[in-house]
Amino acid sequence: MANKVKCGMIIDLHRCVGCGGCDLACKSENNTPVGIDWASHKVETYGVFPDTKYEHVPTLCNHCEDAPCIRVCPTKAMHKDNKGMVIHDPSICIGCKSCILADPYKVISYNQQSAFLDYVTDDSRIVKGGTFSKKELSEASNAPFPNFNVDRGADGYEAVRKKGTVEKCSFCDHRVADGLAPACVVACPADARIFGDLNDPKSEIVKLLKTYKPTVLLPEKGTKPKVFYIRSFSNKS
Amino acid sequence: MSMNRRKFLKVSATTTAAAVTVPTMLVPKDADAKIGELAYEGEAGKWVASTCQGCTSWCSIQGLVVGDRVVKVRGNPNSPSGGRICPRPHLALQQVYDPDRVKTPLKRTNPKKGKGIDPKFVPISWEEAADTIADKILELINAGESHKFLLMRGRYTYMREIIYGTFPKLIGSPNNISHSAICAEAEKFGRYYTEGFWDYADADLENTRYLLAWGWDGIASNRQTPWFIKQMGNIKDRARVTAIDPRLSATAAKADRWLPVIPGTDSALQVAIAHVILSEGKWNKLFVGDFADGQNAFIPGQEVQAETTFNEKHTYGVVKWWNLELKDRTPEWAEDICGIKADEIRAVAREFAEAGSKAISWVSPGASMQVRGAYASLAGHALNGLVGSVDAAGGTLQKLSPPVNKSPDYKPYLDPKLTANTKKPKIDQRGTKNFPSLKKKSGGGVVTSRVAQALLDEDPYDIKVAIGYWNNFVYSSNGTQQWEEAMAKLPFFAHITTNLAEMSMFADIVLPAKMSMFERWGYLKSKQNLHGYATLNVPMIKPYADAKTDETEVPFLIAQSLAKKGFDGPLRYYQENFKDPETGKVPQNSEEFDLFALKYYLEPLWTGKAASKGDNITSWKELVEKGIWKTKRFTPGKKIDNFKTATHKFEFYSETLKKAMGAHAEKHNMSMDEAFEAANYTCRGDLSFVPHYEPPVRHGDEKEYPFIFAEHRSRLNREGRSQNTPWYYGMLDVDPGGVADKDVTKINPLDGKKLGLKEGDRIRITSPQGSIESEVHLWEGTRPGVVIKCFGQGHWAYGRVGSEVFGSKPRGANNNDILHYDWERLSGSNPRHGGLSRVKIEKI
Repeated sequence: MANKVKCGMIIDLHRCVGCGGCDLACKSENNTPVGIDWASHKVETYGVFPDTKYEHVPTLCNHCEDAPCIRVCPTKAMHKDNKGMVIHDPSICIGCKSCILADPYKVISYNQQSAFLDYVTDDSRIVKGGTFSKKELSEASNAPFPNFNVDRGADGYEAVRKKGTVEKCSFCDHRVADGLAPACVVACPADARIFGDLNDPKSEIVKLLKTYKPTVLLPEKGTKPKVFYIRSFSNKS
Repeated sequence: MSMNRRKFLKVSATTTAAAVTVPTMLVPKDADAKIGELAYEGEAGKWVASTCQGCTSWCSIQGLVVGDRVVKVRGNPNSPSGGRICPRPHLALQQVYDPDRVKTPLKRTNPKKGKGIDPKFVPISWEEAADTIADKILELINAGESHKFLLMRGRYTYMREIIYGTFPKLIGSPNNISHSAICAEAEKFGRYYTEGFWDYADADLENTRYLLAWGWDGIASNRQTPWFIKQMGNIKDRARVTAIDPRLSATAAKADRWLPVIPGTDSALQVAIAHVILSEGKWNKLFVGDFADGQNAFIPGQEVQAETTFNEKHTYGVVKWWNLELKDRTPEWAEDICGIKADEIRAVAREFAEAGSKAISWVSPGASMQVRGAYASLAGHALNGLVGSVDAAGGTLQKLSPPVNKSPDYKPYLDPKLTANTKKPKIDQRGTKNFPSLKKKSGGGVVTSRVAQALLDEDPYDIKVAIGYWNNFVYSSNGTQQWEEAMAKLPFFAHITTNLAEMSMFADIVLPAKMSMFERWGYLKSKQNLHGYATLNVPMIKPYADAKTDETEVPFLIAQSLAKKGFDGPLRYYQENFKDPETGKVPQNSEEFDLFALKYYLEPLWTGKAASKGDNITSWKELVEKGIWKTKRFTPGKKIDNFKTATHKFEFYSETLKKAMGAHAEKHNMSMDEAFEAANYTCRGDLSFVPHYEPPVRHGDEKEYPFIFAEHRSRLNREGRSQNTPWYYGMLDVDPGGVADKDVTKINPLDGKKLGLKEGDRIRITSPQGSIESEVHLWEGTRPGVVIKCFGQGHWAYGRVGSEVFGSKPRGANNNDILHYDWERLSGSNPRHGGLSRVKIEKI
């Protein structure tokens, strides 16, 4: 193979409408509990009425070339895979949270408790005999929770992460390994996300990076993110 | 990781061999958008098509079914919107698997009814439930008062034909009352009385050069949401977008211009734009025509003289419009009324007109669902007539419709003794003196929210038995107080619902409904991207509840019970007319009926009969697999001079409205002026038939209630049904001005300062109608003087997530508690917009 694959993503803010479809698709793909979002967003309103501007910036792990979270991980649970993605292995994570402290983007979450524990323990219902409990649904569906995506649990990775470990966006490595784009890319109704190989000069992502001047979040941190932003969300002057 | 052979074949079949190891695919439509079985990490999953009804875009979607569970959703690649979905379908996963869904039929054991009163529901069997309802219906029939049965429909599929279209008639009642007037009937009014089209518009987004969006937040809420989202970037590359909205909406945030209009004054802005277009000679002369001498006689402040000839082409009444209304409607006149600077009005009018037939003026509920919104609906749409973008490439379009079978004639199955009762006036008072509801004719449309008052007043009579399905009027209509009182008074009510909603808390019987996106059969007709289509609701999973399809199975079960008790008309109608078109089998149970009835209606679409009009699909199996049948692409230009108006032209002076209102006035022995007065409009004489400015109605004295209240939709609202899903709350900041996990009221910081309010303060908002509590969000996207709150939260019943205490204490607040109980009477609509309620704000 000529070049090693290096995965990256572009978010075209001109196309993005700030709908949050990416965030929700990520939740159903990756079984993240309420309070833990691998894909998220920052919003900001500026200016004074009526010259008001609004910006929405989708966020996720930047899969940095020089990732501070990898540097500080004592067990190498946080590591880089052969496609340049920053991947976490919960089986050797000791939950020390060093990565969370080191990460300038605040995209790593800690499982304070077992995710979806309420589906094991909560047997309350609003009308006795008339509605369900969470526990009952979990038992009926024979799954940790009914819309549980078992396929997230690829290659030894836990489909639902354990208490005391961290978790974050993996660029949907389980999908990419199958030749599929990450869930947020497929779900974007605006075609605002472009995922691809930064080492392939013919890839769409490389072409777009040449066409538009990309920006990254917190460039001053020197982390060399592989999530790039092009154009702007609002074009009001 | 290892890759099994089956998966390798699947992947290599759709991408290059290199793509298996090198991820260069990355264009999702190639990589992922396949139909049918998908080998997936050793699990076989199947993408099954269905329809999302989180708004009325009615997008064809697919759910990934693994075993007996649905785990993910995406757009249907066969859909005309490019196989995309907005955020709403994702939330449906938590909706279908909501633990608070009704599990089994329930019976009320507490006879006392009222808000916050525990109905003390206990489980019963379907048989007992159906027998109870059948007994109530038979009591009415035997007493000769079958018309005192009421069917209330909320959201629906086109299988509504069974429960709404024919069931009430078969039991001798005229009362099938839809929710439509809560939704957007006033929007349709403008299109109908200019171009004879009572519907939502389509638009040629791929070719448009200007989008003038009247209260329209198309990338967030209704309609064609994913198609607009997909196109927005392209539109911004080649066209200009101007959003008119008191709130910096999602669309306004992406627009080139934001015009933060004062609520309810859209018509002032519209006629000022029209004034500029005419006075500056910028109208489309090919479409509208021109003065015979080529000299522009549209001179501000002056009438066009009778002797001046205007050769009008495809429109009707442009000179009358000018003389009756537009001549004095200068931008300077409009500035103080609508709060938009005259210079900006002029600039927008020029930009819009310069885009000519590729300029779209799109009226939405925001600009029309107002007490006097019918004329904003007319004026906004009439702008398309001035620039000739009606039925034009790059302009606003009508639609093509999938040909489906009509309902079989019910009359042979109707007991002749009941015929007279089916012709009694409907309970919603449509077509009465004060409620013209002119959907094509006097009383042609529904006045949904008037039903509450009619129930209270027993006018025109007392309703004794009611069924409601997929509706929650107690929550979703202006005048929650009136609805609560009316529902408490209703002697017998059965509610068919997925969740115990506010409406259910007044029910005697609650029947669990299958969830529309994943559990039942059905179909919808809609349009996106110049294609009409029929999209299926497909039961891809079995419900955990003992649920039935509201529109088909429930009436079938009641019909079976009625037949058992000797009244067999409805059951014979169902069994004799809805045999399986493939096998001729007679439906023996409700599930067979559910499927056979759908196959009956769609038969032209899956037998190849409709192939000349669109997709050629030749088997039922193929239709279910594809999930959608599409018409050919709409061709613009064929409607011109062939509009279904009185003159066949695009009417600036609406002879069509004159005819309809004339008939209404005559029916009630009124003059035309009296008729408009009774409908709460200020116009008199010929002015009534041209688009014109109507001063907004505001309830509440300005001194006591200094602020105008405005509301909007969240892009995460699945109408009112996503508020029991945890995912909804965490993401509410995807709405501009929204705050995650909260139900805030957006107040301009200047007003906040005046009131001494800080971010996060708790406030009470009071209108003459009622009071709610909320939390302050100081936000520059709000017009000073206007306070804005999203609709959707504040359920006191729906489930544990949506309420703070189920059955009594809401989470957030319901805007309908303070929106005044009033109507847009020409269309029968609920005027939730236009700032009809003034409010005062107190810190608590």
